[in-house]
Parts: sequence; structure tokens; C-alpha cells
Amino acid sequence: MEFNVVIGGEAGQGVFSVELELTEILSKLNYYFFATKNYMSRIRGGHNFHMVRIAEQPVHALSGGKWDMVIALDDETVKRHKPNLHEKGIYLSRDLTKEIEKEAREDFKDIKTANTILVGIVLTVIGVSPEKMAEAAESASAPYLKKGFDLAVRWKLAGTCPVSPRAGDHCKFDGNQAITLGSLLGGCQFMAGYPMTPATSIMHYFAEAAQEMPVHFEQAEDEISAINMALGASYAGVRSMAATSGGGFALMQEGVSLAGMTETPIVIIVAQRPGPATGLPTRTEQGDLNFVLHAGHGEFPRIIFAPGSIDEAIALAQKSFEMADRYQIPVFMITDQYFADSVHIIEDDIKTEARRREYSIFDNTYKRYRLTENGVSPLTFPGLSDALVKLDSDEHDEEGKITEDLNLRIRMVDKRLKKFELLRKDAVPPTLYGDAKAASIILCWGSNKLIVQEAVEKLTGEGISTAALHFGQVYPLTAEMITPYGLESKKLICVENNARGQFAGLLKRELGLNVNHPVLKYNGECFTVEELCQTLKSLLS
Amino acid sequence: MVQKTDMAWCPGCGNFSIRDVLEKALQELPIPVKNIVLTSGIGQAAKMPHYLDVNYFNGLHGRSLPLAVGIKLARPDLTVIAYSGDGCNYGEGGNHFIHIIRKRLDITILTSNNQVYGLTKGQSSPTTDFSVKNDLAPKGNENIPLNPVALAITMGAPFVARGFAGEREHLKELIKEAILFKGTALVDILQPCVTFNKVNTYQWYKERAFKLEHPLTDRYEALKMADLWGDKIPIGVIYRDEGITCREVKNICREQLTEEDIACQLDTRCVMMR
Repeated sequence: MEFNVVIGGEAGQGVFSVELELTEILSKLNYYFFATKNYMSRIRGGHNFHMVRIAEQPVHALSGGKWDMVIALDDETVKRHKPNLHEKGIYLSRDLTKEIEKEAREDFKDIKTANTILVGIVLTVIGVSPEKMAEAAESASAPYLKKGFDLAVRWKLAGTCPVSPRAGDHCKFDGNQAITLGSLLGGCQFMAGYPMTPATSIMHYFAEAAQEMPVHFEQAEDEISAINMALGASYAGVRSMAATSGGGFALMQEGVSLAGMTETPIVIIVAQRPGPATGLPTRTEQGDLNFVLHAGHGEFPRIIFAPGSIDEAIALAQKSFEMADRYQIPVFMITDQYFADSVHIIEDDIKTEARRREYSIFDNTYKRYRLTENGVSPLTFPGLSDALVKLDSDEHDEEGKITEDLNLRIRMVDKRLKKFELLRKDAVPPTLYGDAKAASIILCWGSNKLIVQEAVEKLTGEGISTAALHFGQVYPLTAEMITPYGLESKKLICVENNARGQFAGLLKRELGLNVNHPVLKYNGECFTVEELCQTLKSLLS
Repeated sequence: MVQKTDMAWCPGCGNFSIRDVLEKALQELPIPVKNIVLTSGIGQAAKMPHYLDVNYFNGLHGRSLPLAVGIKLARPDLTVIAYSGDGCNYGEGGNHFIHIIRKRLDITILTSNNQVYGLTKGQSSPTTDFSVKNDLAPKGNENIPLNPVALAITMGAPFVARGFAGEREHLKELIKEAILFKGTALVDILQPCVTFNKVNTYQWYKERAFKLEHPLTDRYEALKMADLWGDKIPIGVIYRDEGITCREVKNICREQLTEEDIACQLDTRCVMMR
């Protein structure tokens, strides 16, 4: 059994707080669920909607089937979501939610309690008792949840869509929380940023961590400043990062190039949203892959990770800082609004062992850019020893002094580019789902991972044999990454949230793979499992 | 030690004097050289760190200031000096100049202010006087100049000074005082450009510069003083305010993230169900 509910309303009505409170209680009651949101770039008004999928098995995507319940806090919800309500589904019309607001005012003298009453109604529908609700919720909420229960009983909704709590010990995460935790596990101690949706909550989580932990968050006057601050902090000795979205990243590009030239380790999170320019500020897209690939003038090595699940985001964020330090390069994590704002529970244990930057001591003969066999020079930081640390954005000699010696220029370029070889050896392989022997394979990257995974499972269940390959590292791509899968002889389908098939283009350029069928979506929304299954069926038959 | 012939400045450039003065000032300060970091941007002045024996991060045009902020926030134990020219600190980095002052950090900002773009060969800088002619402004500069001293005072900088490359001993003391001052300190340094600025020459500055005997401590009096430009140009500490407190920065570099930190983070943020 599973239960899919959508709550729609205007910004400022507290629709988000319904999702937050509901998922908090579901988590405490050990329910499997997945939640995501679709919202407008405004503080008040408009139409936002929050979707929660509650199930008896792990779920990590929107099912895309008919809604089991539609809750309308505005008239737009009626127009937009009621047509997708299951014929036996529950519909809380605007009249009913107004009734709830009226009772909230009468019983509790506070219209805001109506949101908690709604949570109580939803929980009652899936069979949660008021006692269980009270156990899981903050004590102040208990009377409102009980009120929701009473209303659900009055309207004969109690237990009409029963779902059992089957999850074990777990953690509840949204994508940006996972990125933050992974960064802390990677030993990141400094972040500078300028707020930009959908990256902003990474800054919130990091600033909160900074209250208790030896980390610092600094709000910069602009993204140019943010990345330069982060580079300054890295030079001074701490692992550091910046997070932004496409438009902010456009401003950060010169800093990316500076990191490349000065070989300063840095991790940059690019949480994508639809562009160009301001685009759709609060919606999702995977349109900035080519941008991140090419960002920054000049030639220098980089790594780009694109996690598709919470555990992968934690692991890759941690790894980003290791890689950035090991190779003294910029490392990118490219995500999107859908990934940032979606809430999952994960049952796997999270290792809490934080990595740290190693400090080496040198004497006054130290040279920051010493030419070595593999291109990586010994790294140290100012003030630790007699070694002076000299960084230059100009072409420089081994010591870090400005030079226009053109022979040395060649050696320095070669030194920086040599690291590509090391990066290739360290590449993170893609993950396979489904039947490795299938004649077709679905390629995807970043946030589509779990949607594609469920679609493959569903198709397999219907007797359609297929497989999926998800790339958590999108650059560099190496032949070794795909050797086991014999992709050359398969029908290749590439699922992406953009209009031009950017990853398919990269696969062609880097690995010579020809994607037969691009599956593209670029209206600002994520794929749903049902939608993807329909498209894939037509391509696979 | 770098030979003067290896330096990229024109013979007679004011930056030579400033370099010598800065080197002496750093030697005379009771701070180990390994704990001093210079940041700089791009331009002729921004090459300064290459000609001194110090730690440095010579970054991009306009960005000496945010680099300095990042370094100071990560390592409050380091003495951080942001060194660049007027184009870098007031033009390309103008936004950073405004905001670095708001941050109340113990950073010294030194600007070689020659009122002209040198490295790009003679165009107007943010501090070029009104109506001065150059290749990009053949009829004369249409813009009124930015007054860095007045701007810094207005933004709330607690230590604002002006020096002159032709007054070495005076400049050295200013720089030392600025570095020792606990808080954001600006020393705008009048630096003759012998190649491209034929108006604001050594002689021109010499005839106009007069030394203040004491720093002003009243902000509005200081602003009046900062506004003086033309026949009389004040040099010295123009404004000093002991009342603006420097921001406390925890030394994150001394500590490392521990397993307990992360576990605690997980417990509070992620509803660990154990």
C-alpha cells in the first residue's frame, strides 16, 4: 500500500509547514516516505504545492500516478491537481479547508493551528491513532492533531487508506542537508556564500553548524567575493567551499580559473535551476553541465560529481574535499532544485568520522610550485614553519614568482595538466541497476538516479528487461568506467532534465558513445516514475 | 632579495619608495615574517609582494580584499595586509572595499594611489581628477573622482590614513601604526606615476601635502579634513576611532572537526531514531 498526497496553496499560507510537520512525524513513527515541493519565486500569493508519498517500502521519487488525496488551500489547487485525483481519492476542497480554518479560530483562537489540524487529518487517513501522533509530535501540537483526528472521523476518512510503518532506524535528509553533512565529514571548515535558490539552505545548515563546531560561515557581498574568500581561507589552511546556482556561479568563474592557476583546493556546489539568466528561480533543471565543464578561462584539471541519492551526496561531498586537497584543484558538486529540496529517509548507518587536512612542515627552501613527477607539489600553509607560501595568478616559477619565461610556461602548463592522469585513475565508477544483459540501457546522471531506478524496477516487474547506469561522476569520464557494460552494442537511452542532451553530448565527446534516444524534460519539473515508464516503454518495445 | 632591475616598475616610480618603506616597516614590527601575509590584485602596484620576502596570495584584479577576508577569518593569528592600486582596490574591487569595512576585521589595506591606470597605459582610474585628459578621455575625464579616505570614514573604518611616497619616514610610521591597529585600517598612499600621470607629480604632491599633527577622533571633523583636496592635501592619520570594536574570530584552524561534532550534528538535524 502507498498513499500519495498533494497539498496546494499560496505562498505564505503555511503549506510548507504542513509538509515539514507531517514528514517530521512520519519519520518519528518509522514510515517510509518521500517528499518534494514545487514552489514559485515569491513570498506571498501564487501557487505552491507539496507532495508526500507514504509507503510500506522505501520510496525515493514521485510515483506520478493519481493522487490519493488532494488538499486545496487555494482555488488553483482545484484546477491544477483535482483532475489528477484518483476516482476514490479524498478531496479536501477549499470549502472544507476554510471550515478547518474556522474551527481552528473558534477552538484555538489561532488560524495557524489549521495547518497542524491538516497534518492530523492526513495521519488519521493512513491509520495513525491520536495517541501515536501525540507521542511523535511536539507536545504543543497534540490538541491540534487530535482535532484533525476528530474531523477525519466526523468526515468518515479515518483509516480509509491504511499504510503501515515499516522503516527501521533511519535519518531524514533533504539533499542540501546531505551535502552539508558530507562537507563537514570531508573536513570543510569554511564556507562563504551569497544566498541564491536552490543553494541557500546549504548556507543555512552550514551557518547553523558553525554555531557549535570549529567551522565558519561568511555571507559575502557577492559571489565574486564569496569564492575569493573561500580561496583565501583554503590558502590559509582550512578546507573550504562555496555554494551557488548558475547565475551566481557565472560570477564565480574567475575564481574557478584562479583556483586552477594557483592550484588552491576548493569545492564548489552548483545547485542548478532553469536558465538562462534568472530563468525559473525555484524550479529544477540539469542545464548547467556544459557550463560547469567549461567554467573558467584557460586550461586546468577539474572533477565534477553529480550525486543522485542522499548516501551518494554524503559520500561524494566528503570525497570532493579529499580530491580537492590531494590534487590541489577545484572540485564541483552539481545538483539541482529537485535534489536540494527533496526529503528522503535513509536507513544505512552514517559514519561520523571526519576527514582532515594534513599539514606538512617545510623549511625556508620550500617552493609552492615545485616541479614533481606527477605534477602535484607539496602543499603547506603560511605561518606553520619558516616556509613562505607564495601564490600567483600570473604564470609563475616554482617559488610562485611572476614569470614570462616561455619555456617555463610550458613546464608549468604540463605540470598542471599532468594531474588529469591521476584524476582518471581515481574516477568514481557509475552504478548499474537492473539486468546487465538487457539489450538496452538507460544512462542518467545526478538527481534522476532514483527515479530511473524505480522505473527500471517497475518495467522489470512488468516483464520488460532493461538496465540503468547512473553516473555520480560526470567528469572526467574514462573508458574504464564503462568497460564492464558493453555499451557500444546496446540501445542507449539518456534521461536528462535539459533541452539539448548535454550529458549525451559529453558521452559522445569523451567516450565516443552514441545515444540513440535522448529523453529530455525541461519544463522546470522533475520526472515522475509513471511518466518515465510510459516514455521508456515506447522506446523499448 | 630581488634586484631593482628585475622589478617591473618604471625608473622613478613611486612604488620603489613604497616598497623600501614597507620592507623596513615590516622589519621593524615585532611580528615574525612567517606570520605576515600580503594579498594583492592585478596592476603595477599589485606586483609588490613579489618584491618582498613574505607569504603572499597575488590574486585577480580587484580581489585582494576578499582574499584577505578569507585568510583572516580562517587564520586570525596571521597579520593580513591587502596591497593593491587604486584601480584594483577602488574600481574593480570597489564593492569589496565598501563591504570589507563593514566586516570589522583586523586587516590593513594599503593602496598605491597614482590616480591613473598604469599597466594598461594611462586611462582614467577611479581617483583621476575631473577633466584630466587621456587616450580614453580625450576631452578630459567626465567623472568626478572617488575619495577613498572620505568613503572609508563614511563606511565606519576606524583607522583611515593618507601617506605620500615622497615622505618615506612619515609613511613608514603610518604603515606600522596601521598594521598594529586592531581593526580595519586604510592607508591610501599618494604614489606619483612618472610615465602616465603628468599632472600629479612628486612636485605637485610635495607642494600640497601637509602633515597632520594628531589624528582626528571626531568623524565629522575627519570627513571635513578628508574632503580637502587641491591646494592643500592632508597626510597622516586622518581618522582614528578606538570605539569601533574589532570582530571576534574563532581560530577554526587550531581545531579539527571531531566525530562527536558530526554525531551531534546528526542527532540534532536528522532525527536519528536510535
